[in-house]
Amino acid sequence: MDTTTQPPRTLVDSRGSSCPGPITDLSMAYRRSTVGDVIELWATDPGVKSDARAWSQKTGNPILSLDERADGTIVVIIEIKRR
Amino acid sequence: MRQRIVVLGGGTGGTMLANSLDRRRFETTLVTASTTHLFQPGLLYVAFKNAGTPLVRDERGLLARHVHLVHDTVTSVDLTHQLVETAGGSRLAYDRLVVATGIQTDPSGIPGLADVVGRVGDYHSTVSQARLLWQSLDRFRGGTIALGQTTPICKCPPSPIEGILLADELLRRRGLRERSRLVFFTPYPRPYPAEPMNHVVEPILKERGIEVATFFDVDRIDPESFTLTSIEGDVIECDLPILVPPFTGAPIAYEPAGVLDESRFVRTDPRTLRVRGTGTAFAIGDATSLPTSKSGVGAHLEAQVVARTLRGSPATFAGRTHCPFDLAHGRGTFVAGTYDAPVVPSPPSRLKHVMKATFARLYWLSLRGTLDPALDLYFRLTDPARPRWRGLRGPHPGT
Ligand SMILES: Cc1cc2nc3c(=O)[nH]c(=O)nc-3n(C[C@H](O)[C@H](O)[C@H](O)COP(=O)(O)OP(=O)(O)OC[C@H]3O[C@@H](n4cnc5c(N)ncnc54)[C@H](O)[C@@H]3O)c2cc1C
Repeated sequence: MDTTTQPPRTLVDSRGSSCPGPITDLSMAYRRSTVGDVIELWATDPGVKSDARAWSQKTGNPILSLDERADGTIVVIIEIKRR
Repeated sequence: MRQRIVVLGGGTGGTMLANSLDRRRFETTLVTASTTHLFQPGLLYVAFKNAGTPLVRDERGLLARHVHLVHDTVTSVDLTHQLVETAGGSRLAYDRLVVATGIQTDPSGIPGLADVVGRVGDYHSTVSQARLLWQSLDRFRGGTIALGQTTPICKCPPSPIEGILLADELLRRRGLRERSRLVFFTPYPRPYPAEPMNHVVEPILKERGIEVATFFDVDRIDPESFTLTSIEGDVIECDLPILVPPFTGAPIAYEPAGVLDESRFVRTDPRTLRVRGTGTAFAIGDATSLPTSKSGVGAHLEAQVVARTLRGSPATFAGRTHCPFDLAHGRGTFVAGTYDAPVVPSPPSRLKHVMKATFARLYWLSLRGTLDPALDLYFRLTDPARPRWRGLRGPHPGT
């Protein structure tokens, strides 16, 4: 049995929403988060890449990965270290 | 047999929709909590210009005679059994439901906020709150004004910037600008959330000497010292905080409860405007979770889409926004976009300022649908998805 405890992961689905939708959703999720949470943001607006990087730098919450899937979905995984 | 339509909320969207359904095919009931209808964009001018134009009219007088009006507060909606319940004990069954209950300010989630807006006023809730804000501005004799939205969701996204620009204009007119510091804070990475429009707005803030604090999500406010602290850990100290409180959907219990998101917005299909998971309920306007600006224009266009679908020709919403934007000193612009054609930057002009003022004067008529042919033509001509329009504007700066 796998006894590893995964940090709670919040999926934020902003696909189809154009700028500033994804960063709005990320900010709202951050507001509801606590230290140790992981936020997984899905977006289709390319502006999310620079916005998420700037947000991460400002808030001190690292981006664990930022990938673009074949279907065009940009997936940003962020660890909440500071609140 | 006539279809029983129940519309919840007698604001911009609900009133327009109810008026557009004819009596031969529909038996329309509109349930609304307030006996009066508030023209919300006017709150900006009460707060920053002490405007005296009446902003409130009796809802009955705005509705077509055949619309049955129920003055009551909706407390629960059972989407499975197609039943609405009110605080006054009414139970209304429907064939089709349209939720148009808007959103309301809710300062309770931010420590210190209720106290501050209670003393200073605000321009996103009521006429008396907007008057209180005017009194606070009228007493201001210099120092720091900090203005911004406390959380990322804002009714009428241009309204925070409009507020700081009108505050700047007022201080200049009164000869107080030299003695004042204006700080605009925002939870976003840039002053105007949508990047293409920010290319128009940011230089104007700079030119008028307005400081900008980005990524500032208000966490708490000290109501004694007027110190604002953000979740990100930054601090703004000021003499007059002008704050846009967080917004929440109406306190209605839905069955199934899952149709509401975390902000109590009704989960709505962005194109068909059907409440997610239902075949008989629609939602329009601010009450929805649509990924578009919360605006009266949006509520208007969504009401038209739902009316067409109810009449039997299924229509879809393209996500159109068209927000007039007051840049103060007699200049204005518009923010227009759709789901597929993101916001197009529009150069400021005096004409656009006049157009904003004209739209305001036409609001009451537009609720009756009288202006629909002219407005439809206007929205078609200014559709950002039209190739001619995009060609005129050129590519988005920064893309
Ligand atoms: C300062 C400011 C400036 C603005 N400027 C513009 C602008 O320039 N252009 C623009 O397009 N938009 C503007 N807006 C936004 C616009 O006013 C709103 O987006 C619009 O009113 C939304 O319409 P609605 O029908 O969704 O909701 P509303 O008009 O808010 O109506 C909601 C209705 O539901 C009723 N209700 C709520 N809860 C219940 C309940 N439980 N039971 C029964 N009834 C209920 C309320 O009493 C109300 O009548 C501005 C708003 C503000 C505050």
